[in-house]
Amino acid sequence: MGDAKEILGLHKVAGLGASAEKRKTPKDAFKKPDGVSREVYALTGGLPPIMPTLDPSSLKRRQIPSKKISWQWLPFKTSARLDNLQLCHWVRMVDGHSPAGDYAFDKYNKAVEVVRYTDEEYNEHLVDPGWSREETDNLFDLCEQFDLRFIIIADRFTPPRSVEELKGRYYSAARAIVLARAAVTDEVADHTLVKDTYNTAYEVDRKRALGIILSQSRQQDHEDAKVLEEAKRITEARLDTKIGEEAELPISAPAVAAPAEASRVLRTSSSPLAIAVDVPAPVATPTPAPPVPVVAPVAAAPSGPRGPRVYSRAALLAQQVHAIGSTAGVRTSKRVDQLLEEYGVRSKPKVPTQAVCAEHLELRKEVITLIQLQKQVQAKEVEVAALRENPFADVPATPSTPKVKGGQTILYERPSKRDHKRKATTKLTETPLSPPYQKRARKMKGSES
Amino acid sequence: MQLWDGADEVSAIVLDLGSHSCKAGYAGEDQPKCVFPSVVGAVEQTAVVGDGGTDTDMEAKKPGESEKAKAGRKLYTGFSALNYRRDFMEVVPAMKDGLVADWEIVESIWDHALKDRLLVDPKEHPMLLAEPSFNTQQNREKMVELMFEKYGAPAVFLAKNAVLTSFASGRATSLVVDCGGASTNVAAVHDGYVLQKAIVKSAIGGDVLTECLLKTLESKGISIRPRFSFKRKEVRIGEFEVTPVEFPNTTESYYKYMQRVIAADVKEAVCRVPDSPFDDNSYANIPTTPYELPDGQMIEVGADRFRIPDIMFNPSLLQTISGMEKFGAEANAPLQGLPQMVIDSINKCDVDIRRELFSSIMLAGGTAAMQQMKERLEKDLMEEAPQAARVKVLASGNATERRFSVWIGGSILASLGSFQQMWFSKSEFEEHGPSYVQRKCP
Repeated sequence: MGDAKEILGLHKVAGLGASAEKRKTPKDAFKKPDGVSREVYALTGGLPPIMPTLDPSSLKRRQIPSKKISWQWLPFKTSARLDNLQLCHWVRMVDGHSPAGDYAFDKYNKAVEVVRYTDEEYNEHLVDPGWSREETDNLFDLCEQFDLRFIIIADRFTPPRSVEELKGRYYSAARAIVLARAAVTDEVADHTLVKDTYNTAYEVDRKRALGIILSQSRQQDHEDAKVLEEAKRITEARLDTKIGEEAELPISAPAVAAPAEASRVLRTSSSPLAIAVDVPAPVATPTPAPPVPVVAPVAAAPSGPRGPRVYSRAALLAQQVHAIGSTAGVRTSKRVDQLLEEYGVRSKPKVPTQAVCAEHLELRKEVITLIQLQKQVQAKEVEVAALRENPFADVPATPSTPKVKGGQTILYERPSKRDHKRKATTKLTETPLSPPYQKRARKMKGSES
Repeated sequence: MQLWDGADEVSAIVLDLGSHSCKAGYAGEDQPKCVFPSVVGAVEQTAVVGDGGTDTDMEAKKPGESEKAKAGRKLYTGFSALNYRRDFMEVVPAMKDGLVADWEIVESIWDHALKDRLLVDPKEHPMLLAEPSFNTQQNREKMVELMFEKYGAPAVFLAKNAVLTSFASGRATSLVVDCGGASTNVAAVHDGYVLQKAIVKSAIGGDVLTECLLKTLESKGISIRPRFSFKRKEVRIGEFEVTPVEFPNTTESYYKYMQRVIAADVKEAVCRVPDSPFDDNSYANIPTTPYELPDGQMIEVGADRFRIPDIMFNPSLLQTISGMEKFGAEANAPLQGLPQMVIDSINKCDVDIRRELFSSIMLAGGTAAMQQMKERLEKDLMEEAPQAARVKVLASGNATERRFSVWIGGSILASLGSFQQMWFSKSEFEEHGPSYVQRKCP
C-alpha cells in the first residue's frame, strides 16, 4: 500500500526522482533470492513464499543437543538367572544415567505350569499298574524341563514309551491331582485339565491312520487312483445298462399284461353277455398287480449302482414316466394326465421320495391300464352290440353304436389315420363292409389287443 | 546396543569345530572371522624344533603358528603351519566318525583360534560351542570341563549343529541335512530340540567325494602333484618350467593330504550334481571342462563331473570307481542315498510332525554348496515321498551361507536377548559339576 501511495505520490510530485524510485521498487519485487535459479523461482510464481521457510544455513550449524547420549559397556543382571553370572552389554546412557528397570528380555521368560504332587497325593490318587513311581517322577521332571513338548519328552524318555502313553499318563495324573486339590468340584470345572480329557485310544487310532496315509508311496497312490477310476467306469457302465433295462421293463410289463388280459377277455367273449362285462372287471384288477411288483423293484434298483453319487429322484421319476408314456402313446399320456387331474393328483409329485415316486408310478400305470381296459371294454361292447344286431354275420361289422364319450353320442366320427386303436368308424352303415374294408377292420381290431 | 530387534550383544564367541574345518568368530556377525582346517600336523619329536614357517598359504588372514610343545609331539595348526612342509610331519585329524577323538588336538585348535586368530582372552567372553547332533554325554562333559578349567570362560553353552542350522533359517522345526566333510547327517529338529531317535548318519561326505575324484584322475593317468613337490619358474613370458623337488622325509599322510587339498579345489570348481540319476550312456558325450592344476597341467574333466556328486544319491556308484569298492564294506548296513536317508529319518519321527518336516528340509554343510544339489534332492524326494505331504527343500542361495550355516545359527543364538539366561556359568559348573551340562544344555 505504501508502495502504491509512493508511486502515486511520486508520480504526481516529481518526474526523475519518481521514475528512479519507481524503477527501484519494481526491481526489488522482481529480484530473485540467491541460491535459486531464475527459472526455478519463476515456477513458484515469482513471488517470495508466504510462510517463512527454513533457512538452509541454520541446518548447517551444529545442533546443540538437549541431552547427552553416551554408550557404556556395563554389566547387567537378569532376574531369570539364579546365579551371579555377570554378563556385560552396551547400555545407552542419557546424561550419565542408565535406564532403570529389569533386563528388557526378562518378560519373555515364561514357563508352563506343571502340576507337581506330593508323596501322599501320589499314593492316594496316582498309583497305576503300568507306571512305576520313578517313571512318573521322571516324566514330570521332563515335562517341566521341556515345557510339555511331548514329542521331545518321548524322544528322551527311558525306557522308550509312545507319545500317547506319556500324554495319557500325564493328563490323567494332573487331572486327578487338580480334582483332588479342589475343595469343590465347581471351582475347577473351568480348568482345562478337567474340561477336556485325553483319549488315548482315539489318539492311537488317529496316528495309525495318519501314518498309513503318509507312508503310502507315490506308486501306491497312482495305483489307488487307477483302481478308483476303473471302479467308476464300471459302475457307470452298469448304471447305463440298468437304466436301459428299467426303461424296457415298464414297457414290457404292460405289454405282458395286455396280451394276458386280451387273452382272458377273448376267452370270455363267448360266455354269456351278462357276465361278459363283469368278467373283465375282476380280471382287470388282478392284472395290474403283477406289473407293479415287476416295476417296483426296478424303480428301487437305480439307487444301487448310483448310490454314492448325487441322485435326483425327481429326474429319475420323470425319466420313468416318459418311458412309460412313450410306449403307451401320446393320446394315452394326455388321457392319463387328464384323469389324474380329475382325481386331484398332481402330474408331478410335490415331494419325490422313494415311496411317493413308487406310488405315483403305480398310479400312472394303473391309469394307463384303466384307459386301455376302458378301450377294450368299449371295443367289446361294440362287438357285443354288433353281434346282438347281427348274430349271424361272418365278420363283426363296424359298430352301429358309436363310442360314448362323456354321455354324448357321436353320430359321425371322422376317421383318424393315426389312431389305429380306435375303430375306423368311417361308415355307420349296417351293411357289411366290402372285403378290403373288412380286412382292414379285422386287422385293426386285432392290432388293438 | 541392539543389532536388531531382540538382540543384545554380550560379545560372546562362537566356535564350531567340524570334521573338515573349524570356524570361529564373534556372535552377532554374519560370517566367522577365522576358518581353518580341523587337522593338525604332528611331529613326533625328541628335541624341540623351533622354526618360523614362511607364509606359503593363500588364505590365512594373519600369519601365525601355534606350536604346542608337549612331550612327544609337536602340533602345528592352521593354514600357514600346515602348508609348510616339514620332515616327518603327520597329518592327524581331530575328529573321527563325527565325534572328537583326540582332545589334545582340540585344545591346539582352540588355542590357535582364540589366541592366534581372534586374539581374544577367553576369560572375558562367554563361549558358544557347536557340537555334533549325536554327541555323547562323555564328550560333552569333557568339552565343558576343558573350556572352564583350561580357558577360564565365564559361561559356556553347547548347542547341537542341527538346531543351529535350523535357527539360522529362522525356524524352530525343520529337518536338517548336514552334508559335511567326513559324513552326512540327517537330523530332525522339533521346537528347537533335536529328536535323537531320528538321526540318520552316512559315511559319505565331502572327503569321500574328494577321494573318489582323486582316484578317478589317477586311473586316467593324471597325477596330482602337491605344491611342495615342484618348483615353477617363469622362463620366458607365458612359459613355465616345472622342476620336481624331492623331499624324501615327507610322510605319506602329508603327501596325500596336500593332494587332497588340490583335488578338493578341483571338485569345488568343476563338479555339479546331475539332474537325474547318472548313467554312463547319457553322459558319454558331455563336453569337458578344463582345469589348471598348480603345476601347470591342464586336465579335462568330463562325465566324472556328474558321476562324483551322484554318489551321494546313489552310493552304488562307488563300486564303479577303482580303489573305492571296499568303502563301506565294513559297515553293517548298506550305504543309503540322500533321499532315502531323509525319508528314513522322517519316518522315525512322530506322525504328527511329519508333514511339517517334509515341508521344511534344510540343506547345510560344505558339500551342500555344490550346484544343483537342492534341485536334485527336491526332485528325488517328490518322487519318493507320499502324495499327502508337500516336499520343500530350503537352502540359502549363498554358497558361503550354506557352508557356515551352523556357525551363523550360533551367532544368532548367542546374541539373542532371551538367550542370556540360558548360559551354563562357571559358578554353576563349580557347584554342580560337569554332568550338569545335561540339564543346562538339553
